[in-house]
Amino acid sequence: MKFGKKNYWLYILPAILLIGTFVYVPIIQNFYFSLFKMNSYTDEKIFVGLSHYVRIFKDDVFYTSLKNNITYALISVICQVGLGTVLAILIESKLTGRLRNFYRNVLFMPSLISVTAVGLLWYFIYNPNVGMLNALLTKIGLENLTHAWLAEPNVAIYSIIAMSQWQYTGYIMVLILVAIQKIPQELFEAAEIDGANGIQKSLFVIIPNIKEMLLVTSVITVIGAFKLFTEIYVMTMGGPYNTTQVLGTYLYQSAFMFDEMGYASAIAVIIFTITFTASIIQIRMAKSGKG
Amino acid sequence: MKRNSILLLVVVMVLSLFLTACGSAEPEAAQPSDSTEPAEVAEPTAEDPITLKFLHRWPDELYDGFFNDMAREYETANPGIIIDVQAIANDPFKEKIKVVLGTDEAPDVFFTWPGEFTNRFIRAGKVMDLTDVMMKDNYIDNYVASQMEPFTVDGKIYGAPVRVDGKIFVYNKEMFAQAGVEIPETWEEFVSVCEQLDAAGIVPIAFGNQAPWAVSHYIGTLNQKIVGEPIHAAYDPAVGDFSDPGFVTALEEFERIVPYFNKNTNAIKHSEARENWMASKAAMMYIEIVEIPEITRNGPAEIQDNYGVFEFPEYVGGNGDQTLLTGYPEGFVVSNTTKHPEEAIAFFKYITGKEVGLKEANAVGWLNGAKGIAKKGEISDSLYENTQIIYNAGGLVNWLDSGMHAKVTNEYLTDLQMLIDGLLTPQEVIDNVQEVATEVTSEF
Repeated sequence: MKFGKKNYWLYILPAILLIGTFVYVPIIQNFYFSLFKMNSYTDEKIFVGLSHYVRIFKDDVFYTSLKNNITYALISVICQVGLGTVLAILIESKLTGRLRNFYRNVLFMPSLISVTAVGLLWYFIYNPNVGMLNALLTKIGLENLTHAWLAEPNVAIYSIIAMSQWQYTGYIMVLILVAIQKIPQELFEAAEIDGANGIQKSLFVIIPNIKEMLLVTSVITVIGAFKLFTEIYVMTMGGPYNTTQVLGTYLYQSAFMFDEMGYASAIAVIIFTITFTASIIQIRMAKSGKG
Repeated sequence: MKRNSILLLVVVMVLSLFLTACGSAEPEAAQPSDSTEPAEVAEPTAEDPITLKFLHRWPDELYDGFFNDMAREYETANPGIIIDVQAIANDPFKEKIKVVLGTDEAPDVFFTWPGEFTNRFIRAGKVMDLTDVMMKDNYIDNYVASQMEPFTVDGKIYGAPVRVDGKIFVYNKEMFAQAGVEIPETWEEFVSVCEQLDAAGIVPIAFGNQAPWAVSHYIGTLNQKIVGEPIHAAYDPAVGDFSDPGFVTALEEFERIVPYFNKNTNAIKHSEARENWMASKAAMMYIEIVEIPEITRNGPAEIQDNYGVFEFPEYVGGNGDQTLLTGYPEGFVVSNTTKHPEEAIAFFKYITGKEVGLKEANAVGWLNGAKGIAKKGEISDSLYENTQIIYNAGGLVNWLDSGMHAKVTNEYLTDLQMLIDGLLTPQEVIDNVQEVATEVTSEF
């Protein structure tokens, strides 16, 4: 066999096979399974057509989950990308001086801890009786602000979101720091000669030059928001009464607690559609950013 | 040449699709057609040992250590058998057992909760029918009869207890004296005891409902005492009839004691609530008899001689048999897909038998279902007395959460959390439960 120009695809065949087997085939299979009623311990499958999808759109818990994922995504983008950028700019500025690396490391540290450990840590911080947070609030005279952080339906999901911001803002900040450090020094010098102050330099030199990175980090946080699972699983299991349920945990519970593999597959298809669409939109935006 | 390559690609792709698609169907084909029939296996020898997988649900050192010790002793007595002991904790167990039972790596002998939790596996053909084994030479007479009933489904026997259990109240004697109250005999008295404790500035009941199975024990008991017989039709996934007005009454009665729980019940785990009770932060707690050894081992010195137990008070005018006790044994069953049925059954008999039972009573403070263990003097006094509560009960009522279909249980427990927070009325809870129960009946 001769390897001519037209045989280029032979070189990518191994990769295609691997990705096909482990990514694309399961995705198609998952869609196929969503049309059946089945559980994990029998081989019996009953065809139910699209009825799982009809049910999803009537399912209150699904909407709660979706709302929680969206809330998580919005807050994460604002806090992690927004605040992360501000922190990165501050660290790169002259204000931090010799402590620059110290600040960077301290802020980056939480993202190195495993989510499960962080979840347990915060579970204890949030504990209404012996937790640090309520004790602190009581100490400084804000007793009326104490809550059963993970058990009150209006507070619980925000408590978990807050924990994630604590964990990941530093990570996003470091990504942005790298982008800032890649900006040519001449641009700053030129701005200084023009008499720009710190804020003006940030707005007109740094931000336009790290646009690509801001888009990338937004994609990461939004997709991360829809893949959310461990935090919820460790801290509340979706409770109290499903108010902290997200798509990931709802999928898991449907599959392994309620024996509804097919319904869980249908939820998975929805998650896939959302993240896939989000990626496409953001890739498009990233391209337009170049032009 | 090009055509050949494309063909190759297509073949490989189709093959990979086929292979992945077959994954789930394979184990079925590999099963023996009649697995109670001993498969043709050579006698196990030390050179060619047989490995039995044994799955229980207590990863904590004390219990896991005990089962490991028992497994090692069995290996010593039976050369050629290796027992692979695995443990998964309570809540994850409920999820993971379903996954492992779907594979051909299913454990040969495994833990389960009798009732609907197990029945679905029986319906799926995953649990071995042990009727013949139990009836042969009346082997079943080695067990306490009342404790074998839960493992009998449609006249067939599927397992045996690893520990018997029942739900009782523990109370702090000093706090009771302080408030000037006595052990309540009836539900009305119980509510009034709560009132008086509360008036004396004592938290009446410790309660942790973060994992809402905790509330199901209250409701399971109240349902049984108030509704009576119709609970069986209600919990049966094929019938699911919650129309009896008693179900609403039970929740209304429950609402009366909600104000007497500690604060933030939904934020506290059951084990945390028990810690609080042991630290004398509340007067009473509704716990399982199997938790008593926990108090003996880990409770502070002050609580040891300062607590007593009483049974759930009688509900005067209730339709149910007031002598019944909420509490079901937990047990072991044999997998229907085991490759070594004979050896698995032998190990099952050993681990649920008297020899292990005696050691279990003394090592961890649990009683299994074997006859002749609960003798005064041979086991600790408190274990003996509490066991008498179980044996003297008019009968046992299954835990609400493992007695019903998973979906109905979920709706019920979620709604009960909302009821405690005052977001749903008793009628609304039962309406929601009925809706899901009706939905579930369509699957049968």
